[in-house]
Amino acid sequence: MEIFSIFGLEGKVFIAQLINFLIVVFILKIILYKPMQKMLNERKNKIEQGLRDAENAKIALENAGEERKKILTAAKDDADVLTASAKASLEETKNKMTQDAKNRSEQILEDAKQKAAMEFENMNRQVGKMSVDISGKVISHVFSTLFTDEEKNKVLARALEKIEKGGYEKSAN
Amino acid sequence: MSIAPDVLFTIAGFPVTSTVIATLITDAVIISLVLAIRKFMSVNPGKIQNAFEAVYDYFYDMTAGNAGERASYIHPWVLSIFLFIAISNLLALFPGFETIRFLGSSGDHHGVPLLRGATSDLNLTLALAVISVTVTHYFSIKYTGIKSYLGRFISFAMFPIMLFVGALELMNEITKLISFSFRLFGNIYSGEIVVGEMYSMFSIGLPVPFIMLEVLIAVIQAMVFAMLTMAFMSMFTEKISH
Repeated sequence: MEIFSIFGLEGKVFIAQLINFLIVVFILKIILYKPMQKMLNERKNKIEQGLRDAENAKIALENAGEERKKILTAAKDDADVLTASAKASLEETKNKMTQDAKNRSEQILEDAKQKAAMEFENMNRQVGKMSVDISGKVISHVFSTLFTDEEKNKVLARALEKIEKGGYEKSAN
Repeated sequence: MSIAPDVLFTIAGFPVTSTVIATLITDAVIISLVLAIRKFMSVNPGKIQNAFEAVYDYFYDMTAGNAGERASYIHPWVLSIFLFIAISNLLALFPGFETIRFLGSSGDHHGVPLLRGATSDLNLTLALAVISVTVTHYFSIKYTGIKSYLGRFISFAMFPIMLFVGALELMNEITKLISFSFRLFGNIYSGEIVVGEMYSMFSIGLPVPFIMLEVLIAVIQAMVFAMLTMAFMSMFTEKISH
């Protein structure tokens, strides 16, 4: 026991120091270590999340590049299909229009031919009529100058007879 | 300078010594530091927080390197021991320790030192040693089970060799208390005597190299105590197979 007093070992002081240190540990644990650990974990998570996000962004960028290529390829294919379709449609329209124009021109030509034929017939008729009139007038003049009234009547009777039989027209043609 | 700290006065039979006062100052400094760190604590750390985080991470990494996942409950004790011992050792080097005298009821007209390094008192170092060893054994029982814990000291494998080894282990636990407490106490107490002697021989300039040495010793001793605690806790919380 003498050694205890030499080193100043005192039960009450020893217990007090023991309790004091336990209180210090408790305080440090509650107000420093726990919040500090929480904050460090939070920071660690943030850094990890940041790294994950960066990695995801890198992958997304790569995917976007591939997606862009795919979209461009698909768009090019679509454009090719559309161009081909437009070309075919254009060709079809062109052919149809050409055919329509051809048909119309043929129709016009046919109409013109029919009209010309009709005109020609009409003209023939008029010419015939005119020639009959002229012939009539010539004959009438000749009759009046060369023939007597008796001869005139005979000739007119014979002419009327022929006309009635259709012989005049035949002989006019 | 006596080995035993000077009793300044008593409160209801409790002897308030110069080292008790120094312990209370150490507590106040630790709590002030903690509050300062807490006040400015953020995800983007400032200078004080950065410095503390460096110490915190250093001890955590070292504990995790030895104890793995068990670091989560070993680390607070190791860091607390380090902070408490280092701060109390460093405070003892401040002007005023040993020099400010207290004229109490001792009858000595020079009085006694009001402040003395807290760790130069065996009461404190022994208390720290007891806590270190007790917590180590508590963790051992809690995390490895009573069977594994007792297996360290009592084993009938290779009778009687392991039984003898167990007895040695038991003795080792007692010597741990002595080595822990006397190493710290001896280093700090002797350091104070050396610096005190240097002051008495030539107080201007001469003590400076010794104070520098004491700064180093203050940190090293805190480190040794904390590291040994960490090593023993790591060993004792690991399951052993017989």
